[in-house]
Amino acid sequence: MTAAAQQTGVARADLRGEIAISVRDLYKHFPIREGALQRVAGHVRAVDGVSFDVRRGETVGLVGESGCGKTTLGRCVSGLTDPTMGGVYFDLTTAENERIDAILAVPENGRTPEMTADLEDIDRLHRIDRLKNKEWLRYRRNCQVVFQDAFASLNPRQLVREIVGRPLKVHNEASGNELTERVVELLERVGMSRQHLYRYPHQFSGGQRQRLSIARAMALDPELIVLDEPTSALDVSVQAQILNLLNELQQDLDLTYLFITHDLSVIRHMADRVVVMYLGKVSEAGSTEDIFDDARHPYTHALLRASPDVDDDPDAALVTLEGSVPDPARPPQGCRFHTRCPVATETCGWEVDDVVRWLEDEQGMFETLTDVAREDAFTADLVFSDESSAERLATALRSESVPSAAREALIEMKTETTRVHVAFKPVPEIELTRRGPGHVAACVHDQMPALD
Amino acid sequence: MTVARVSPEPSGQIAQARVVASVVDLKIHFESKAGRVHAVDGVDFDIRDGETLGLVGETGCGKTVTARSFLRLVPMPPGIHAGGAVFFRPHQRCANCAGEGCVECGDTGRLPIECPQCLGGGCHACDDTGSETIDLSTLPDRALRDIRGDRIAMIFQDPAKALNPALTVRAQIAEVFYQHRTTELLERAGLGSRPNPLLRRHITQRARTIERGLLALPPLRSRRDRIERVVDDLVAAALAETQIPNPLKVMARYPHELSGGMKQRVMIAQALACNPDLLIADEPTTALDVTVQARIMELIKDLQSRHKSAVLYISHDLSLVRRICDRVAVMYAGRIVEIGRTEEIFADPLHPYTRGLLAAIPSRSHDRGRLVAIRGTVPELIDPPPSCRFVARCDYAVEVCGTIDPELTSGPDQHGVACFIHHPPDRAGEVPSFSRRTS
Repeated sequence: MTAAAQQTGVARADLRGEIAISVRDLYKHFPIREGALQRVAGHVRAVDGVSFDVRRGETVGLVGESGCGKTTLGRCVSGLTDPTMGGVYFDLTTAENERIDAILAVPENGRTPEMTADLEDIDRLHRIDRLKNKEWLRYRRNCQVVFQDAFASLNPRQLVREIVGRPLKVHNEASGNELTERVVELLERVGMSRQHLYRYPHQFSGGQRQRLSIARAMALDPELIVLDEPTSALDVSVQAQILNLLNELQQDLDLTYLFITHDLSVIRHMADRVVVMYLGKVSEAGSTEDIFDDARHPYTHALLRASPDVDDDPDAALVTLEGSVPDPARPPQGCRFHTRCPVATETCGWEVDDVVRWLEDEQGMFETLTDVAREDAFTADLVFSDESSAERLATALRSESVPSAAREALIEMKTETTRVHVAFKPVPEIELTRRGPGHVAACVHDQMPALD
Repeated sequence: MTVARVSPEPSGQIAQARVVASVVDLKIHFESKAGRVHAVDGVDFDIRDGETLGLVGETGCGKTVTARSFLRLVPMPPGIHAGGAVFFRPHQRCANCAGEGCVECGDTGRLPIECPQCLGGGCHACDDTGSETIDLSTLPDRALRDIRGDRIAMIFQDPAKALNPALTVRAQIAEVFYQHRTTELLERAGLGSRPNPLLRRHITQRARTIERGLLALPPLRSRRDRIERVVDDLVAAALAETQIPNPLKVMARYPHELSGGMKQRVMIAQALACNPDLLIADEPTTALDVTVQARIMELIKDLQSRHKSAVLYISHDLSLVRRICDRVAVMYAGRIVEIGRTEEIFADPLHPYTRGLLAAIPSRSHDRGRLVAIRGTVPELIDPPPSCRFVARCDYAVEVCGTIDPELTSGPDQHGVACFIHHPPDRAGEVPSFSRRTS
């Protein structure tokens, strides 16, 4: 390792525990375009208001099902895509961090000119999508990414020396012989050697390719590495090698990891803190022990109970989740998980869309639905083509075929020939609430009710 | 060729169950520029009626090639069938209950077919079992088509690729019935056994455009529609079996309109439509999320216990295999290195590779950074030397491991392992042992 790198290493160890990255109210919406004119018909809310901190020297795990926005969030943090709203702040001092939290707590139209000026100052210097030139380069050096697919993320036409040495070249760190030596140094760090310098990516196995990706990410001695499912394409024995390597590097160089994965056993092994995402929102966040031993959100519970562990009793039934993830372009009201939640209550945000979803799964009902006249998300008139369907819906909404929580939330229902008027109790979005030191969850239950 | 056959006798009901398929010294090689790749190199195992056999191993160990060779889905060339055979004992629909399940067939709706040579007496061709035994590796293509999707069905890893994007769900599942249930369809539609030749062509999906035009005209149309309604009912029933909500709606959909879990259910419905004797599931949940994976696993388990089919479950995930399988075979570099009942394999793994695999899974008992990784990588399978395939990565290897190839030998409890630690070679020299690390 170079002397310069060692020096920063010492300084870095002192900074351990300071905030490295603050994500504040981050939104990333992708437009859905349709028709000949590519008119915007709606937005996929991939990341929909996410806030958390990553402290120096720790590993933050980001888990969730596919399509929950975890990769998009990783791309926002690494600066590969610009957020729609909100921001990712880098290198804030504690004072600045407190200030920004104080300002963001005030709604935009209630801020004093002084607050707006302060925010602007901090944004210009620390918000990564506002950084310019030198500052931007500094951020890019300090935040590197390891991608899931090591087949696609290494250029097949370049030699290892060019792939791993590329960041050094771009940042004018080294060239010629020095570059070769630096690349060898990096290769040795990740358990490879000089003999691999002049080979192409296709000559390596999956595990070795992932090692090359890690070597490339390490080239500029970054502080933060975003690991986007680094081991999900690997076999378990190779995964163990890579996870051990990542741990070793973290301890030697005081690295900070944002570890994105869907594999809970890997997260438990690697992470200090865990952020659980569902449909673009954080459903629970806390230390690894909190999440695995004292989960407070039914979704976290479901994830934990669904993933088998080799140490568990093999005969214990896996608890499975009903239904599928709702459309992220029309996320459910209230708690986004209420459509699949086994312990949902009447205050979880039952709405008109739930009725429509129920109709979709019921034989012969969705076809007769001709119109849904919405007043808002909770009140609407459903119009059917025949009276019997309307009658069937009205009876179903009073019977066991819908969850009892939904029946309790239904405050009004009138049937007029082919129209059914339904109104549910309006419920605001469920916010994250504090459950313990550093442990937050977005659930109406204070304690997780017992599941059977 | 003399082969050390390992056919463990598991306890309980399955021990008495008949062997539905057996793989005998199967060798599948591939020709490549660098030489002959021994992808599957002498694999032996039996699958019994009603059991779930797990086949686990890392990428490239030959587990998928083994599974695909059951239905001869390995392309040849570049593949070469270098030896061995896959024997299969098909069943037929129980005549007593018409496939509904009765005492005679043990609620399976299937009965074994008598061996045509000895009429159930037991002869050399049927290995003294009295039921018809087919060698799948030499069977003519036409006869094999009758078995594919009917007696042996397969669930593929990636449902998004395995389903045809240009056909509706109904069309894909209906094909199974058209191809394998022709007479039953005619019966159910009340058309008798000798219908109009055009209808017969329609039902076996061989009608040409002009014939399809004729079928749409009045005299035949009503009869054609009657067949279609029967098929609709069968498809809907097959889909309902996999707990798909509102099957009638799903039938009209194209695969891209469905979620991953739903697509996998359609695949399962398609595979189980004809109540197969053997179901081959090639990593059915790898492409799915954990929550969906759990549901699909429960579904396969539930359907298997109802249909009592044998299942060959291929996976690289040991924690899944542990939950779903009765027996497990661990593959490494084209060979089975260990085979036995699931509890035994997990409680007392005999092969160093199996031990390594189990230790490499991150679990709550591991400290961070202390995963026991197997060092090195999977060896090249091009013209392998006569030695234990695991020798370069094994912590206990001694000289003999590098010179003689250990055979899969079963121990006292029928727990088979191919390792000199348990079965030292006759030519005694230094013998490896778990108590001594050599590297």
